[in-house]
Amino acid sequence: MSHPNPTDDPGRDLNMSGIDPGGIDLGGIDLGRVWTGVAAQVWQRHPGRLERLTARLLRSPGLARALLTTPSLLLPWLISTAVVFSAGGLVSLAGGEPMVWMLAPGVAAVGIAYAYGPGVDPAWELACSMPVSERMVLLVRGVAVFAVNAFLGVTISAISYLVTTHGMHVAADLTAQTVAVTFAWLIPMTAISAFTLAVAVAARSASAGAMAGVIAWGLTVIATRVSTGDFTAAVTDSRTYLPYLVVAACATAVIVYTTRTPRGTPQ
Amino acid sequence: MNIELTGVTRTFGRNRAVDGVSLTAGPGVLGLLGPNGAGKTSLLRMLATVLPPSSGEVLLLDKDPKRTAERRDIRRRLGYLPQNLGYYPAFTVVEFIEYFALLKEVPSARVPKAVAAAVERVDLGAKAKARLRTLSGGMLRRVGIAQAIVNDPDLLLLDEPTAGLDPEQRVGFRVLLRSLGETSTVVVSTHLVEDVGAACSEVALMDNGHIVFRGTPSELVARGEGHGLGDAPLERGYSAVLQAARASTVAAGDAA
Amino acid sequence: MDDDELITRLAGGDDRALRELFSRHAPVLAARLRPVLPPADVEDVLQETFLAAWRGAKSYRPEARAGGWLWGIARRQAALLLRRRGPAAASLPDLLEFDPPGHHPPNDPADTVVAQARLASAVATLSPAEHEVWRLVYVEDRPLAEVAELTGVPEGTVKSRAHRARRLLRAALGGAP
Repeated sequence: MSHPNPTDDPGRDLNMSGIDPGGIDLGGIDLGRVWTGVAAQVWQRHPGRLERLTARLLRSPGLARALLTTPSLLLPWLISTAVVFSAGGLVSLAGGEPMVWMLAPGVAAVGIAYAYGPGVDPAWELACSMPVSERMVLLVRGVAVFAVNAFLGVTISAISYLVTTHGMHVAADLTAQTVAVTFAWLIPMTAISAFTLAVAVAARSASAGAMAGVIAWGLTVIATRVSTGDFTAAVTDSRTYLPYLVVAACATAVIVYTTRTPRGTPQ
Repeated sequence: MNIELTGVTRTFGRNRAVDGVSLTAGPGVLGLLGPNGAGKTSLLRMLATVLPPSSGEVLLLDKDPKRTAERRDIRRRLGYLPQNLGYYPAFTVVEFIEYFALLKEVPSARVPKAVAAAVERVDLGAKAKARLRTLSGGMLRRVGIAQAIVNDPDLLLLDEPTAGLDPEQRVGFRVLLRSLGETSTVVVSTHLVEDVGAACSEVALMDNGHIVFRGTPSELVARGEGHGLGDAPLERGYSAVLQAARASTVAAGDAA
Repeated sequence: MDDDELITRLAGGDDRALRELFSRHAPVLAARLRPVLPPADVEDVLQETFLAAWRGAKSYRPEARAGGWLWGIARRQAALLLRRRGPAAASLPDLLEFDPPGHHPPNDPADTVVAQARLASAVATLSPAEHEVWRLVYVEDRPLAEVAELTGVPEGTVKSRAHRARRLLRAALGGAP
């Protein structure tokens, strides 16, 4: 039994005023215990299939629940991401540039910032005292966001690539340029995601992280345009890959450090 | 012994929130008193494994919180109610408590009964499926207490648990505390001196990061004999001890 | 709020109504079950009773009394519990059956024991066929059609056997209700 219930002294416990037998001699029957058994089944929440599956996958019902519920703007984010990428897809079908490479890191930044963290979870302090560590929740949610983003982005990119090459009767050369524009944005996206999360966690504010990430990416794109005269150089120039990964590594270090020692009011 | 602290210090920048505290505690209710800024919350946060000490040894439930696996073991047997517990307004009472039961890794099969028992124990049975945004401050506090006790913790840490409770509820809460203190170690940080006297088997008084008194409530009352400040015996003991502690600090400072 | 209203709310899924119903009726039900079953079993039966009430609130007819309705469920749950224990315990629910609704629980446990013993000996005088029919109809509360199916006997025969059994037992108890 996980919970000891005082059996023969109803006055001893705080409650049960509603379940007080009121003087009838019950000789060892604990109505409080009976009610607990009834209430347990009546109040029980039955997790949906997705939650049960996730719980098995992550081997933790708590982590699954944390991933799928609790405060976050994940659902709105998911919807807006789908919209953004669909718009990009439609654009490409119409013959234009899907600009996935430009949008993806920015979209990821917003998603990651609002995935989890002290700026998102009002009960962050309590979460830090849990065996299912808040870092795990952060990681799992962050990965989920990133994965969704990557999946949608790659899909749209692939579709637009196929549409473009299909439209041409000449076999398209798989130039490094084309591939880079289609897929290489994953690297800067990683960097921007990590950077966003670091700011969100350090500043304890999801909005701060989101803004920082979007601005950082915007500046990067503009800066490369200014320096190389080409927008897409932000993703295609292989010289940028190493710096991106360095940024990602530094941001990760910041996240690890900041989530290890949650600051509180010195008291 | 469920708590064994040896020379624990915690600094934030140049501020020594907790200064060389040594503390042991077994089953029972320990009241933690002290003025604002005394270091009570930092001490409690260290006991909750939320904050690591800057120096000193910490042993909780015979385990070392510096080790990841042992820290997880401690946390499963831990209940914590922070001073400002955030709530999820859209969650119901039962959902909120269940969420933290799951995070505390209470075995899934036991969760419904544990949650129901916790809800009834804090007398929120009539509000079990109400959304948190519809509850009063006192009720929210009780929800917080319920999540802290849902896993039947061996170590229960409550930071200002009676904030927002009316006098009748505070009486009921003390009854709950006493019953919990029979099998677990309960540490209650509060500035309500009468809460302490009624429910606690022992009292520790903190001032400026140090523990300046450790003993039973009656011993604290004894310290207040002949002391003017305070309407109630415990209050007089409280201020007597504080005064003495500060006088000796000044004297030490003068001597230095 | 009266019981009927509570049960209507119950049917609508209001768990607070169940809680209120529990606090009103569980003590009485417990007191009535206590002479017949050990405390742990009483707790089990009560738990199953209120869960069954929660699930089956829609079938409650307002003309019935809440107390009687709950008692009916409790009886069935007790019978199910005892059936799981085996045939030896089957005589105990007899006492439950002969308690008309509104009847107050016996105050003297000794009376109960005596009545139980008399009943047990009366039951022993029934023929096997009558015993089975009586058990199915009165203890397990099954509809006559079902009993006819189970025993492989026409419904009319079931009916007459049930009546005969009841008459015999009533006589054995000295006409006591």
